[in-house]
Amino acid sequence: VTARRPVDLSVTLGPLRLANPVVAASGTFGYGTELLPYLRLADLGGFVTKGLSLRPRRGNAPPRTCETAAGMLNAIGLANVGVEAFLAEKLPALRGCGTAVIANVFGETRGEYVAVARRLNGADGLHALELNLSCPNTEKGGIAFGVSPPIIRDVVAAVRRAAPDLPLIVKLTPNITDIAAAARAARDGGADILSLVNTFLGMAVDLATRRPVLDNVVGGLSGPAIKPLALYMVHRVHREVALPIMGMGGISGTEDALEFLLAGSTAVQVGTANFFDPRATVTIAAGIAAWCRREGVARVRDLVGALRVPEGPPPGPCAG
Amino acid sequence: MPVDLPALVVAHDAVNPDHFLLTLEAPPIARRARPGQFVMLQARAGHEPLLRRPMSVCRVPAGRRGRIDILYKVVGPGTRYLSQQRPGTRLATLGPLGNGFPPPARGRRPVLVAGGIGIAIFPFLADVLRRRGARPILLFGARRRRDLVGLDLFRARRVPIALATEDGSAGARGFVTRLLEPLLDGGAARRRARDASPPEVYACGPTPMLRAVGDLAVRAGVPCHLALESHMPCGIGVCLGCVVRCPGDAAGPIYRRVCTEGPVFDAGTVLP
Repeated sequence: VTARRPVDLSVTLGPLRLANPVVAASGTFGYGTELLPYLRLADLGGFVTKGLSLRPRRGNAPPRTCETAAGMLNAIGLANVGVEAFLAEKLPALRGCGTAVIANVFGETRGEYVAVARRLNGADGLHALELNLSCPNTEKGGIAFGVSPPIIRDVVAAVRRAAPDLPLIVKLTPNITDIAAAARAARDGGADILSLVNTFLGMAVDLATRRPVLDNVVGGLSGPAIKPLALYMVHRVHREVALPIMGMGGISGTEDALEFLLAGSTAVQVGTANFFDPRATVTIAAGIAAWCRREGVARVRDLVGALRVPEGPPPGPCAG
Repeated sequence: MPVDLPALVVAHDAVNPDHFLLTLEAPPIARRARPGQFVMLQARAGHEPLLRRPMSVCRVPAGRRGRIDILYKVVGPGTRYLSQQRPGTRLATLGPLGNGFPPPARGRRPVLVAGGIGIAIFPFLADVLRRRGARPILLFGARRRRDLVGLDLFRARRVPIALATEDGSAGARGFVTRLLEPLLDGGAARRRARDASPPEVYACGPTPMLRAVGDLAVRAGVPCHLALESHMPCGIGVCLGCVVRCPGDAAGPIYRRVCTEGPVFDAGTVLP
């Protein structure tokens, strides 16, 4: 019988220190208070709010979601209360909640990103910003900010200047040829932390009506179905870019989270699992602690990037 | 406040080949539930299907404290898997969720309008209304006779029932609105039925039926509560996936969450 020593679950991502490595992902946790019937926020490392824009947004027409094999598609349309209502109504309710509150930020123009970030800089009770780069850039024909490295560097640098007091997390889209190039661009723009990956673009077809299931036609795929894709991208970015990572993509249980830590995530975000289990985050945090005790791991941070990879050059693009 | 618990399956009976009545032991949910509320039920092996299924609380059986009944129809892999769960297994059950039905205004007679498996929401409402001294009547429409399930749950409560089927195999031929229209027409039918109390409509069923019932009630100036169905990933208001379109303003419609702002909406306030 081994003595039960407490496991040190704390992790440090650049300027951001978390009590444990489990963070609830944007768009799956509301503004935090919605989950209070089911868990104590203090048992989380942190949570990321629904994406905030300069003005409130109503979002897309339904159907907005569609279940797929081991996953789901969503096209919510970035519906949110807007940054002013967040500051006036949502953030005050979170003061003293005992966890890191991270505001997810997006805009349709570089100027909107800057305006939202400036408004949030210095807000009482806010611990970090996360930039959602998957939003269409209306000044560049609607192509997402996050698919162009020069645009990533530019918008990240502008937000960095607008919110100098908050740790800056940049959330990368996987819908790009080379995610490492996007990661380097975010680093060069001044990102403190990278979070990856956002959802993969996908669609579903209703055979009976011969129409797309989603009113928006295209949506973002999330859930266990994307875990191997996300894990690879985390591994890749960890090898190539020296910034702390919050990895995510299909994490539904303790083992999933541990795999992301080994692949190079300092913290993990849990998203879609919150939908089918509102206690998924805290269950995973407790599961990581139990696993570490069992395996004799004293500090969870010792697992980060501890993947045993074969010697030699990184894996090539051809897997066939 | 809702709770999430592993509810024990205590009974699970086929009503007919594709309709089932599931009894779960879930005391905190049974204690808190109100008519019109629902639970999110997990029924899966591994990650398939991924999401829980929203199910109306069909009944909180009196005298058997702590149990809830769920009446459902097998329509896909989730409900098929659910139908295979035998007594003794446990199913993660989150609830009660949603706003539930409001009580009828004083002096109004509740008219429950069900379409197909929409019937599942009404036994609980009928029980509570009867206990409070109201005299609900049930109008029940379905495609064909075998889809008219759960009638004994109302007969035991002495709720008058009128039936309609699209193929005419039971009751009136046509849609359930055919049964509703005479009750809304200013009183001729009510006078014939020797019932002077004006109606208040409670409806649950397929979206086209809810649209038709809502339109009829609004036109007749009769209060009408629509219980909506929606694909609902979370049930707790965070995914924003289950929204229904509602009248907005010059900038366009607004969207409300069926899970937390509903599932019951007054006719005229939603555009389902």
